[in-house]
Amino acid sequence: MAVIEVANLKKYYQVWQKEPGLTGSIKSLFKRKYEDVKAVDDVSFSIGEGELVGFIGPNGAGKTTTLKVLSGLLYPTAGQVSVLGYTPFDRKPQFQKQFSLVMGQKNQLWWDLPALDSFLLNKEIYEVPQAQFDQTLDDLVSMLDLKKVIKIQVRKLSLGQRMKCELVAALLHQPKVLFLDEPTIGLDVVMQQKIREFIRGYNQKYQATIILTSHYMDDVKELCDRVIIIDKGKIFFDGKLDEIIKKYADRKTLEVVFDRPMSKKDFSGIRAAKIKTFMPTRTVFTVKRAKVNAIAAELLKSFPVVDLNITESSIEDIIREVFTGRDLS
Amino acid sequence: MKKYWQIFRISWQNTLVYRLNLVMWRVRLIIDFLTIYWFWWAVFTQYQLIGGYSQVTMLAYLLVASFLRSLVFSNSSYSACVEIANGDLNNYLVRPINYFYNWLARDWADKILNLLFFSVEVVLLVLILKLPLLWPISLGQWLWFILIALVAALMYFFFSFLVSAFSFWYPEHDGWPLRFVMLMFLDFLSGMAFPLDIFPPALLQLFKLLPFSYFIFYPAQVWLGRLSFAETITGFIIMLSWLGLFMLLTKLVWRKGLKIYGAYGR
Repeated sequence: MAVIEVANLKKYYQVWQKEPGLTGSIKSLFKRKYEDVKAVDDVSFSIGEGELVGFIGPNGAGKTTTLKVLSGLLYPTAGQVSVLGYTPFDRKPQFQKQFSLVMGQKNQLWWDLPALDSFLLNKEIYEVPQAQFDQTLDDLVSMLDLKKVIKIQVRKLSLGQRMKCELVAALLHQPKVLFLDEPTIGLDVVMQQKIREFIRGYNQKYQATIILTSHYMDDVKELCDRVIIIDKGKIFFDGKLDEIIKKYADRKTLEVVFDRPMSKKDFSGIRAAKIKTFMPTRTVFTVKRAKVNAIAAELLKSFPVVDLNITESSIEDIIREVFTGRDLS
Repeated sequence: MKKYWQIFRISWQNTLVYRLNLVMWRVRLIIDFLTIYWFWWAVFTQYQLIGGYSQVTMLAYLLVASFLRSLVFSNSSYSACVEIANGDLNNYLVRPINYFYNWLARDWADKILNLLFFSVEVVLLVLILKLPLLWPISLGQWLWFILIALVAALMYFFFSFLVSAFSFWYPEHDGWPLRFVMLMFLDFLSGMAFPLDIFPPALLQLFKLLPFSYFIFYPAQVWLGRLSFAETITGFIIMLSWLGLFMLLTKLVWRKGLKIYGAYGR
């Protein structure tokens, strides 16, 4: 059964543009030229219970806007949205008690008080019974190693500690649906890893349905079976991560090490191989899948090859190429 | 209900973190009061009666106006306009909590704290400056005053929310430009610095139709017993009409505002 159902969702914003400089500012006092920005443009998808889905796309692709519509913050311009059977924008308390939105760059904790005070407030807001609250808090605090932190003023915490506390505040009512907007932004690698492990743990322990957006491919690679790639407000790809590789990466990467320096001209005979990075003794080619063997054989035969490695293109490479609109074939 | 009680408590905790800030705010109000007090004190060294006020009634007016200021105008809900403008409103919209009740609880936390301070200050002022105190003379007058002061506080709450709602359409500078204009009007037209009936009758009639005089001037008149029963009732009806209008407008504007709300700040 689908927990999240989105059909033909559109969200347009109006913005106005200002000419640069003071003259432009004065002009804009009297006349503003408005135009529509299509933040989300005809998007449809459906997510089942317990799925952990990654939203990826460049800045301004429409990821956050989609999450805001799903949380009931934004009123859709057109289309149907249903989460747990509710229409998010109605903002029914029964619905709100079952989901959480965490934004990596926004906080809900009371800045001047220890996080524990915010937790207690959320306990009342979400009407969590005392016993369940104690149990969940205990669980989350030990999972995230926060015992010494929750009684310190939030403003005195490090970014990583604060993010962990934000997660606790968002999860005390055990939401069935969780929207995470860049939960690892600005964190160091170790902390990113910890947050990732925690998200996976929460997903498995509570069978929670999670949508996660991130700029870090590692977040998505490690956590999500399924990814939805959005660009310019439209869904570009929706499926398993390794299918992107099958679908778009019909090239493999050939890394060759030579025992004496070569020049670019030396490779002009091998038309089917594109040079990706060139160094005199180490060159990386991209080659069509079907021709990999033939080209590898030719390189070995005609060049002083010391080492040769054949690898799949990395997901980062594929996605980067997709977004920059380069021809992949 | 319990959630709003918790909000009330956390607001107190939050305010108490900034002890100095709170004390400075009170100091500001006392200086404000003293400025006005000494001005009128000086005026009355030359005149016996101004606009029907003797020195004693004028100083008593200023004292009750100062009390009403702490009760009616102390609020933290003015920051609703900031939250709308910068997107912090998101935090409330995704949680099962009523934004209005939330601010009502926080405002009352603020008001009660301010009134506690006021009651200490007033004892000191009365003792040091030998201020004359005038009390309502009947139980009826007391009850009217309490009722009207509470309605004034509620009326200001909705009025302030209406001003905040402009941030949905004009989020520049966190919604402060309009609020400044409003505060200037309030200082003058509410009767904080002087009773409005020292003005010519025609002007006073106009003030009585505007909502501002019902925040300070009208309840203060009731306290001093300067109104006939008919005048009290007429004033109360006008006041309730403004309250009703503010509530209705807030509801409408709020509903429209949320539809165009941009949930900014990512």
